[in-house]
Amino acid sequence: MGISGGLHGGQYQPLSQEQISQIHKATLEVLSNTGVEISNKTAQELLESAGARVDKERNRVYLPAELVEKSIGSAPSEVLLAGREEKNDLLLGGKRVYLGTGGTALNVLDLNNTRRPSTLEDCRNTAKLVDALDNIHFFVLPVYPNELPKEEVDVNRFYSAMQNTTKHIMGGVYTIEGIRKVIKIAEKIAGGPEKLRKRPFISMITCIMSPLKFDDTYTELMLEVARQGIPLATPPCPMAGATGPVTLAGTLVQQNAEALAGIVLTQQVNPGTPMLYSAVPTTVDIRTMDFLFGSVEMGLLNAAISQVAQFYNLPIYSTAGVTDSKIPDVQAGYEKATTAMLCALAGSNYVHDCAGLIERGMTVSYAQYVIDNEINGMVMRAVRGIEVNTESLAVDVINKVGPAGNYIAEQHTLKYMRSEFFLPQVSDRQSYHRWMEEGEKDGWQRANEIAEKILANHKPTPIPVEIEGQLAEEIPELRL
Amino acid sequence: MSLLDELKELVVKGDMVNAVAKTQEALDEGLAPGKLIDEALIAAMDVVGEMYKSGELFVPEMLVAAQTMQACMEKLEPLVAADELKSAGKVVIGTVKDDLHDIGKNLVAMMLRGAGFEVVDLGVDVAVEEFVAKVKELKPDILGMSALLTTTVPQMDLVIKALDEAGLRSQVQVIVGGAAVTPEFAKNIGADGYAPDAAGAVDWAKNCMISSN
Repeated sequence: MGISGGLHGGQYQPLSQEQISQIHKATLEVLSNTGVEISNKTAQELLESAGARVDKERNRVYLPAELVEKSIGSAPSEVLLAGREEKNDLLLGGKRVYLGTGGTALNVLDLNNTRRPSTLEDCRNTAKLVDALDNIHFFVLPVYPNELPKEEVDVNRFYSAMQNTTKHIMGGVYTIEGIRKVIKIAEKIAGGPEKLRKRPFISMITCIMSPLKFDDTYTELMLEVARQGIPLATPPCPMAGATGPVTLAGTLVQQNAEALAGIVLTQQVNPGTPMLYSAVPTTVDIRTMDFLFGSVEMGLLNAAISQVAQFYNLPIYSTAGVTDSKIPDVQAGYEKATTAMLCALAGSNYVHDCAGLIERGMTVSYAQYVIDNEINGMVMRAVRGIEVNTESLAVDVINKVGPAGNYIAEQHTLKYMRSEFFLPQVSDRQSYHRWMEEGEKDGWQRANEIAEKILANHKPTPIPVEIEGQLAEEIPELRL
Repeated sequence: MSLLDELKELVVKGDMVNAVAKTQEALDEGLAPGKLIDEALIAAMDVVGEMYKSGELFVPEMLVAAQTMQACMEKLEPLVAADELKSAGKVVIGTVKDDLHDIGKNLVAMMLRGAGFEVVDLGVDVAVEEFVAKVKELKPDILGMSALLTTTVPQMDLVIKALDEAGLRSQVQVIVGGAAVTPEFAKNIGADGYAPDAAGAVDWAKNCMISSN
């Protein structure tokens, strides 16, 4: 059974075309009048040669409209993020929707309901769990191996995922050495540098600081990944009310400026390099200025920004399906379902953070992956919508069954029932008495049991033994 | 309402223009600057802290009130004799090395100034050596450290150890905070205090000064 992703969304359009146009114009104004702060000299030189105005004293780079529009044009409108197995390939673009995980959390709420710092073993387990869940279409490295020294983090985070899932693997990176080593490993597994660029089963994330700042370290990493031609996401994370304007439209403008600046820079480094227009707009709790990841406004923002990316014909990396709850409870349920639904129905291509995360992204829960797989299944069913054709209109069947009849044993019912309805694994649909007999379990408990079973029994397709052997020799810090 | 109360209310509301004007009006009426500071400005910030804790005021309102208080202070401070200007205490504050986050720290600094503390803000990305050097040079009552990233939080442990080695640890009370810091961590590294937000930090600082005096 392949993944359920790639269905066409776009039914939900919070912004009108006119409003998108206004946001676009406002963004061009911000980029040419306010600019972005970039202290990295290489980046400044690249942008200046391309027509940007650089104030070297203040490290302020002003991007003119022509440069922005040219870069949007040169960036690819379709990006293939491959899986190690082809059934897991994602073709990003248009309004095709895929939902996947995100990171990077520092804690794990494990199967025994213990909250503890995450480890390399959790890196492996989360990959294995996600490998078996069909409504989670890709794997963004979710946790940080707290016990490893910084220099060993990049290679081990990526490799532990490669060993445990054949879905596409994307991850944040921390050092240039790390980037290079991870790419080397991937090239070996893919069968060579060209093969990896043709079917990249890994991609990377380097962040932009809201408001409007490209920090030096991240810029270096960004340039390296772009040079290497590996697909890249460069997300800013404006928090409306704190690091973005409190009004949602204002945060959309700033988010758009930041995302486009990332596209402009990487297109100068390596024109045509695969880029994802990247967005992680969210809100703060204005009472305390705490970071939030579960507000309904976040859903609105990510849905709207997806429309903006569609306007540019660029594939988008967006964010939804998280919660501010500390546990997989009812709050987690309604917050995740709300934002995931809004974003997916807007036709967002690569909705990340959409499984596993709780506590505004600080913690992952094994049980939550199973619950989110369920939510995602419902979301994708909504995206799929309603097929209206002669067969589905069922006029002949209605006539055959006639008044006071029933459809239970009709061929038509048998033919379509499995595909027409989403069949949940976590939701309990039984009578009260059956439910009571089975132990009166709630969703969290049922999900926990399913997660336990998957971790015990699922066997991901391994990396060929000879390749592992070679990698072990070439990269000693790999924990196999 | 007396002029004092009017000024206090304007500060609580964060009405900077009118608060500064009212300050001048009060001075013209002959009210003593020191009295204005204690009974209008600092008193206003006490109210702001309480209203924030009870959920009536949100962070942006707290920040604007603190900025208003500062604007009035700028008018009054030059008029108060050095010995008369009682500082609530001296605080050195900064965000630790490799960490550039400062919104929270800035709010704490503003609220501490609002409570009458003298605050020296070292900024962000502050190395262990700099924290120690400033504690030695300025002899603050309190050292505050902030960190948002889990990867930079260990710096706080290093600072406390360095203060110990320099023979300075007993001379200063250390409070830590930031999204990556927990009460357990604060305890483990031997900090004297932890607060989850700016209002809490001010409460702790005030109590700290009371118990040390």
